Amino acid sequence: MAKHTVVAMKPKRLGAHQYDFKYEGPLRATPTYCNHGLSAAGTMNHQQQIVPPRASANGFPHRKLDREGSGRQDSKPQLLMSSSGGFSISEIGGKVGHGCPSRDRLIYVMTQLIGHHVDVHVKNGSIISGIFHATNSDKDFGIVMKMAQVIKDGSVRGHKNAVDVVRKPETMIIPARELVQILAKDVALGGDELPKGPSHDKRKDLMIDSAISRSHYPEERELERWAPDEGDSECIELEKFDRKGNRSWDQFETNAALFGVKSTFNEELYTTKLERGPHMRELEKHASRIAREIEGEDTKDIHLAEERGLYLDDDLDHDEEIKYSAVRRDTDNTKYKASTNVSSNTNPIDSLTRAGNTDPKSWLACPSTADEESSSHVFDTNSSTTFPINNVSQLASHSQPNKHLSIDESRLDDKLAKDSSGDRGTRNFQTENTISEGGRLSISEDLEGPSSSSHPYEPSSSGQGKKSSESLQSDATLTGKPLAEYVNSQRPGSSTSSTSELIAGAANSVACAPGLSPSSSMGSLSSEKSSLNPNAKEFKLNPNAKSFTPTSLRPPHPPASDGAYYYPNNMPTAPLGPAVPGMGFPPAYGGQPMVYNAQPGPSPQGYMHPAGPQYGQQMMIGQTRPVYYYAPDMQQYRGRNF
Amino acid sequence: MEVGGEEFAIGVLISVKTTLGDEFEGQIVSFDRPTNLLVIQEGVGRAVRGERRNVRVLKANYIREFSVVGRADDPLDPAGCVLDLSAIHAREEAALRQAEIESERIGVGVTPEAQSIFDALSKTLPVQWDKTDIVVMKEVRVCNPYLPENVSGGTSAANERVKKVLDFERKRLHVRVPGQF
Repeated sequence: MAKHTVVAMKPKRLGAHQYDFKYEGPLRATPTYCNHGLSAAGTMNHQQQIVPPRASANGFPHRKLDREGSGRQDSKPQLLMSSSGGFSISEIGGKVGHGCPSRDRLIYVMTQLIGHHVDVHVKNGSIISGIFHATNSDKDFGIVMKMAQVIKDGSVRGHKNAVDVVRKPETMIIPARELVQILAKDVALGGDELPKGPSHDKRKDLMIDSAISRSHYPEERELERWAPDEGDSECIELEKFDRKGNRSWDQFETNAALFGVKSTFNEELYTTKLERGPHMRELEKHASRIAREIEGEDTKDIHLAEERGLYLDDDLDHDEEIKYSAVRRDTDNTKYKASTNVSSNTNPIDSLTRAGNTDPKSWLACPSTADEESSSHVFDTNSSTTFPINNVSQLASHSQPNKHLSIDESRLDDKLAKDSSGDRGTRNFQTENTISEGGRLSISEDLEGPSSSSHPYEPSSSGQGKKSSESLQSDATLTGKPLAEYVNSQRPGSSTSSTSELIAGAANSVACAPGLSPSSSMGSLSSEKSSLNPNAKEFKLNPNAKSFTPTSLRPPHPPASDGAYYYPNNMPTAPLGPAVPGMGFPPAYGGQPMVYNAQPGPSPQGYMHPAGPQYGQQMMIGQTRPVYYYAPDMQQYRGRNF
Repeated sequence: MEVGGEEFAIGVLISVKTTLGDEFEGQIVSFDRPTNLLVIQEGVGRAVRGERRNVRVLKANYIREFSVVGRADDPLDPAGCVLDLSAIHAREEAALRQAEIESERIGVGVTPEAQSIFDALSKTLPVQWDKTDIVVMKEVRVCNPYLPENVSGGTSAANERVKKVLDFERKRLHVRVPGQF
């Protein structure tokens, strides 16, 4: 070896790369090909991806091609064999036998060309443009180009600048014989900028999404789970859990230690005080039982169902937007619909309806006072057991809208009864006549499922029937749980008997109380939407309407002041006198707005149209009907305004 | 044919005329006698790292005549010639990807006129080739000879829009290159 290379080569299979003739197709050099080359005027036969020699170029095209082809094929294994890891140019030089530095330089330059766009001039004058891919450095430096196209056709026939027909680029091999010159622009002969080298190319090739998805980008990679680096143990801190699942890190402690910040959080400020007395365990057990029952309920509401793992009719149309969007869409489901299975609910309703009267106070929308709540804990939980279940199921079956927690179960039942008895379109139950208490409670159910819960509370003027009721009533979204909770808060004073009845009832629905005699008020059913109940009578507030006293019906929802349930609780014990209509409460908590509307008259109030989604998840079960609740004493409202 | 083999020394600045009619000047980077390949860089002197030059690899057979213009230092730094294979691979892949994308814009077997119409449309509309039909927005189809009346498919709004754009582009092209078609 005369001279050793001065070109340092990475110990890679440069040779393999260089010698790798990646043809797209088999390398064929058949006589037919040549003949075509001769006769096919102007059409470059690129099937074999070889620049066809022009007739004028070679005397014996096919033979030469054969030699060329076979030679190339022979050379391929040869080349591959010659390349091995760790070889250097000197090896190439040695193998080839030239050993001259000029060869090394040539190889260096050629290698630097790889990936560049080049224009190759061939003997017949054609110019082929493509991406330089490989060269046969072992022999005579024929080159392989990818995505190559003939720019200029120098064949005998076509002395045109533009090719007749645009052709798709392909891989082309240009034998050394044909090669005249290779023109490459912007080659970094001195080597690429080191650190920026690759990125520089990347900048040129912005990997936009469409490009990536279009091209055959590397297929999906095998994903590996992230593992922290060795010295990086700190990042695991955040995930330290002890056996109980509690993090061993107390944020408040840390905060106090680090910054001297003391937390002044007092849970009781935000929720009802939990009386930890002798009954604690009992209450807990009771509560958890109720919770289990509620959670195990069947529901038609898709959100609840998802939470509980139930599967409603798997409607493929329900894409994510429909399922989770906060935007209310006026689909049929949300419209007030007359439920058809009222009858099924009647019996359960009976059991539900309260026989006796419930104290008006108990019907307050919110747990009025802490002590009330605490005292009624047992009741609440008890009473809430079945009520929500019933309510839910009834709602579900009836596709009734979530109901406001009717302060007066009887009222609710009454309303339901009326529903069952009459059209169950949007009806404003004026259950005053059914209300046992002195006050009138109008139960407005919001038929629009999603909207009901989101209704914010707005005090409404009493002037307008529907409107006021609308504004008054926030649509009650009664789902099992929320209703239960609401009910709990509502009925601080419900009697135990009702509870037991409720439990015994295990009703499917609270709504229907067929036993209730439809009061006159019930007769007039006004609906907000004409589509809901065209036959509904317009509601007119009748302050003198007789109050209804349910006989055998239990209150559908016992008052419950659930510790967890927070509701604006200014519903005092004051009996509901002719209350100011159009009073409402802001929703106690997200999703459970309950509006109380004092409806003195028995006449059903105008149906309150749900104002719109205020909260994300509207828990409407089945059919929702406007339910008006009486808000006897607004002044005492001490709850939070959300 | 080894024309002037002795004179092709590294660093020599030469002016060349080829048998194909090309004329150029440059500095010899290397000359490989066995293969008769002359590597010429456009520009004199050593390229610093990252500096780009136009390179020509010419088979010396095709040199009709040449003349030495000057002499200069070796354009290649013997010690600094390192081949970064990974970068080269990356560059090639990037170039291939890019070329693929661009090639999809080219219709196979379509006339240049059609191609120029396609290119004009693609400036403002998403277009694809379907054999020799231009498919706009995946809905509207324009067939040979790509006149406004050949526009079909899609909604009426889309159809109208494509017609308008096509009409406009045709007018524009005609004005620019009258008589080409």
